[in-house]
Amino acid sequence: MKIMIDNTPIECEEDELLIDVMLDNNIHIPHFCYHQDLGADGNCRMCMVEIKGQKRPQIACDTLVKENLEVSTKSENITEIKRSILELELLNHPVDCPICDQAGECKLQDYYMDYGLYESHLSTPKTKKGKHIDLGSNVILDQERCVLCTRCTRFTSDITKTGELGIIGRGDSARVAVAPGRELNNPYAMNVVELCPVGALTSKDFRFKQRVWFLDSTESICHGCSRGCNIHIDYNETKYTNEKIHRFRARRNTQINQSFLCDYGRLSYKVLNESFSGTVSEIKELKALLIMENKLALVSPSMSLQQLQSVKEFSQTYDIDLFSLAYMDESFGDDWLKTNDLSANFRGVKELNINSSKEAFDTSLENAELVINFDHDLLKHQELHNKRVVQFTTSNCDTHYELIFAIANFAHDSGTIINCDGIRQDFYATKYKSETPTLVELLGALV
Amino acid sequence: MQTKIVSKNFDIPLSHTMDVALKNGRYTSLDRLFTYKPQQVIDTIKASGLRGKGGSGAYAGNKWQLASDHHGIKYVVVNADESEPGTFKDRQIISHDPHLLIEGIIAACYAIGSNTAYIYVRGEYEAFSDILQSAIEEAYEKKILGSETKYLVDITIHRGAGAYICGEKSALLESLEGNRGHPRLKPHSLQPEFYFGQPTLVTNVETIASVPFIIENGADAYRAYGTDASPGTLLFSISGNITNPGVYEAEFGVNMLEYIETMGGGVKNGKKLKAVIPGGASTPVLPASMLKDATLDYESLKSLGSALGTGGMIILDEDVSMVKALKNLLRFYHHESCGQCTPCREGTSWVDKTLDKFITKTATQEDLNILRSVSQSMNGKTICVFAPAVSAVIDGFLKHFESEFLECMV
Repeated sequence: MKIMIDNTPIECEEDELLIDVMLDNNIHIPHFCYHQDLGADGNCRMCMVEIKGQKRPQIACDTLVKENLEVSTKSENITEIKRSILELELLNHPVDCPICDQAGECKLQDYYMDYGLYESHLSTPKTKKGKHIDLGSNVILDQERCVLCTRCTRFTSDITKTGELGIIGRGDSARVAVAPGRELNNPYAMNVVELCPVGALTSKDFRFKQRVWFLDSTESICHGCSRGCNIHIDYNETKYTNEKIHRFRARRNTQINQSFLCDYGRLSYKVLNESFSGTVSEIKELKALLIMENKLALVSPSMSLQQLQSVKEFSQTYDIDLFSLAYMDESFGDDWLKTNDLSANFRGVKELNINSSKEAFDTSLENAELVINFDHDLLKHQELHNKRVVQFTTSNCDTHYELIFAIANFAHDSGTIINCDGIRQDFYATKYKSETPTLVELLGALV
Repeated sequence: MQTKIVSKNFDIPLSHTMDVALKNGRYTSLDRLFTYKPQQVIDTIKASGLRGKGGSGAYAGNKWQLASDHHGIKYVVVNADESEPGTFKDRQIISHDPHLLIEGIIAACYAIGSNTAYIYVRGEYEAFSDILQSAIEEAYEKKILGSETKYLVDITIHRGAGAYICGEKSALLESLEGNRGHPRLKPHSLQPEFYFGQPTLVTNVETIASVPFIIENGADAYRAYGTDASPGTLLFSISGNITNPGVYEAEFGVNMLEYIETMGGGVKNGKKLKAVIPGGASTPVLPASMLKDATLDYESLKSLGSALGTGGMIILDEDVSMVKALKNLLRFYHHESCGQCTPCREGTSWVDKTLDKFITKTATQEDLNILRSVSQSMNGKTICVFAPAVSAVIDGFLKHFESEFLECMV
């Protein structure tokens, strides 16, 4: 089916929402309240378009496309309507961009540059509302910056069904709030920060740390559990410091996580900023140990297929018993994104036929003289008596082991993992060169 | 000039009690009702030309038909959230003849195939709600309502929490479902309202109260009153600077000035009439000079650039400051905007605050421009008709009484 948007023919399906068609085709359509994973609410009125044959302008988020629909988004009338609605949105807004964390990724700022650029007409006092209200779960609310798009309240009522957030008051004193004595408290709460198109909801974890225009971004996959939620890693390198990761943001994938992340996964970026701080060993020292008789290797099930493959080849070359054990936590999973399996690539372990039997591992460990641990949590902090232990680690670890090799974590390495539903996904290394070698590079010298 | 159809029993002492109501002809239409098939009832309502008396003026029969055509569990919801300034007719029905309302509800339920009705009563109408509740209890005792009747109808009263917007039918249903009273997006095709996903007829108290007369006497008897396009009668509320404020029922199509003189007793203290807000506060004001040939029906007032609305006339005499009158209205809209859509939420507050400058005589040309442009921004860009109504009110005052606003400028 074909429709015309600004005299350009666009292919689409019958009864799709016009705004979806426009978003999918990268046609600029300003909007606050509509979100592809929350649906239409129709309150912000920013997405107004002119439709041939309709007397009044219509909102694109509540228009179903029909054959030969003719849409205009650029007429003088529409531009004027957008300017006037934007003026009303900004009327009681504090315009405190210089101290607002949303600056740089704020829809109000973007649209002001597109449609606003007017002198303020306001000569009456602004409406005062609450500032820096701690809602709980790392979320801070500034009611004056809010445009009342209700994305956050719809998220808690429709998606998590926990219903903590609501709107109280009417007219210009309407504001987002939690009921007295309650707080925003669910495992997905921080999504509201990302859903908020303006600076009303900010993250306690990120606010005042970085200006977003100084951040670079890389597409990646969360390694917090086996769901494989798609993320952006936001990071930068400032003078005299190494690259630092500042946050994870959800990347839309309709098959897996829509536009959401759990708070556990969202905050799991922190360990990526850690690395082994002691002196690392030389790879030839490891080679000298490999002549020993009974050798065992344990590899983390969160490693990429490429890493697992190279560990497997290494183990075969030196006749090492290779195991990988899943990270299971029965209390972690839920019926949405979180899974009980905390390993990012256990499906990959299975695919490469790496032994994952706990009993076999225990027997082998008893007899082993040399234990090589590839970043598996089980042996990271464990005392193993009468055995020589080699650690390959992405994070900090005790220094009493025989040999310790620092390896790059998934933010600094690229690879492929398979999620719990069997979906293969690639992730990429951030753009600054890390001093820490990747596991594949290290083992390459031995195979 | 007064024609009593709905208000027939209003003046009878204790008319709200069952005994008095039965003596004065209540529930007699039910015998006739049950001889009809449901579709015949709807056809009768259609033939009578009964129009929605909550302000819309839409033909009631079509609405009944829509609800009737849908299958499944259905509901009738009576909108008694009467909060339009200048309108106080529904409360007269509830307090003086609640049994008329119950009788009408039974007919509506029977016609569309519903067994459950809700009456959404305005939060402030506590006393009237109590009268209605005892009337419903009496009807259950007399086996007029409930399961031991010819047709099962259960009626439940739900009291609102005092929001004007809950008089908008979709916001009313949201509120009735236990949600925040926000109007819903309009459907893409012609369909009834939905309460918890089930087809529902939402209708005004007075519309329902007109039904028993039509059932009992037939469509033609109703059409004998009023005009061709607006048949029947309306309970006109009249208030403001008037000698006898009150609710007086009259046929559609009577002369407005004549009505004001005879029913209202003329402008209070013999003052000159300056303007009339004809159909509840949300209809544009009309100056006295335009009212010579105005008649009280939907068509006449529409042609004058206003609307009949709920029929709640507010009379303004020569001493009224139109700036202050507008301020009074805008303060109300500022307070009552539900805050859902941007233009209304911010616009109603902006025009209200801007009008303060006219009150203190510190306004400038810029402020007049703001009133005009914000009014423009509110018109036709929101989910419900609240903001367009505010826009029309402002435009009406500025169009007919601009000079008074200019006098308030520096």
